[in-house]
Amino acid sequence: MAYVIAEPCIDHMDQSCVAVCPVDCIAGDPADDRKFFIDPDGCIDCGSCEAACPNGAIYRAGDLPQAWTEYAWIDATWFRDPAAARVAVADAAASAA
Amino acid sequence: MDVTNATLLERVDLTDAVAHFRVRADDGPPGFRPGQYMALGLADGDRLVQRPYSAASRPDMDGDVEFLIRRVQGGALTPRLWDARPGARMRVGRPRGLFTLQPDDPRTHLFVATGTGIAPFVSMLETLLEAPRPPRSVVIHGVSHPGELGYRASLEGWAYGWPVSYEPTISRPADPASQGWAGLTGRAEAVVDRVCDEHGLDPADSVAYLCGNPEMIATVGRILAARGFPAEAIKSEHYWPAGSPEVRTSA
Repeated sequence: MAYVIAEPCIDHMDQSCVAVCPVDCIAGDPADDRKFFIDPDGCIDCGSCEAACPNGAIYRAGDLPQAWTEYAWIDATWFRDPAAARVAVADAAASAA
Repeated sequence: MDVTNATLLERVDLTDAVAHFRVRADDGPPGFRPGQYMALGLADGDRLVQRPYSAASRPDMDGDVEFLIRRVQGGALTPRLWDARPGARMRVGRPRGLFTLQPDDPRTHLFVATGTGIAPFVSMLETLLEAPRPPRSVVIHGVSHPGELGYRASLEGWAYGWPVSYEPTISRPADPASQGWAGLTGRAEAVVDRVCDEHGLDPADSVAYLCGNPEMIATVGRILAARGFPAEAIKSEHYWPAGSPEVRTSA
């Protein structure tokens, strides 16, 4: 089970997670994205990112708070269809505002 | 696509389940800082199985990097690592991690490790001891049996010729594998207070690095905080997420 980056990352994109991920499975384009994304196919469940995130944005997929379960889908989708993931992030951010 | 970029040079066994692995990167030194880790990977069909391990060697060892690894039965990578022969092709990922030394830090360095968590401290000490006037270091290493004391000879050597105190402790002294052990007994967290007292560690002039079992890190962190260590002087590297099976550097 992979880790997932949830709502607290939106518009923060601190990058500490990127600096510690040993398998480079965290991605995102600060020019186009509002958060980072974890590739569930590459994640090895080491938990380094969760410990490093200053915003408390990263959870094991199975431990995501109910309100943020959609971020598991959003993270996985970004690696196949970034545009669809960006729309989903914008929707999620708007509904949380 | 060939994603390998390194070669396994040798495996040196400490016990049936703990060994040093020396790996040579094709493109020279990976450029890590002491304390950082790298993903080691072996191909499994068309997929790459990777796990991160802290480098134990000096950063400037040509292209060679040494790791201290525990074999986990049923793990995704370590059984394959033990099956690999010298010359096997591997992948070494980019150095990662923020668990590194502060440059020119004159404070006494307290290093507390469990198991293979001693690895980054060996790399750190190699670097610290290159300074003209290295800071004082105190190393607590907790393992089950004496045979698991990775880098014991190096640490004992440093304790004779350098400002290094080496305090290994054995948590299973009654086991036959610990026969003849005359040193400290108990888990690392059980000896921290005593070692701090014996070495007169001043919380205002010390920095602690904790590595390995997250439960040890949590407990030792509380002990040091109670002794007056400020939060910024307690740095840690968890080898697997707290409350979960051992994954990070052992599977």
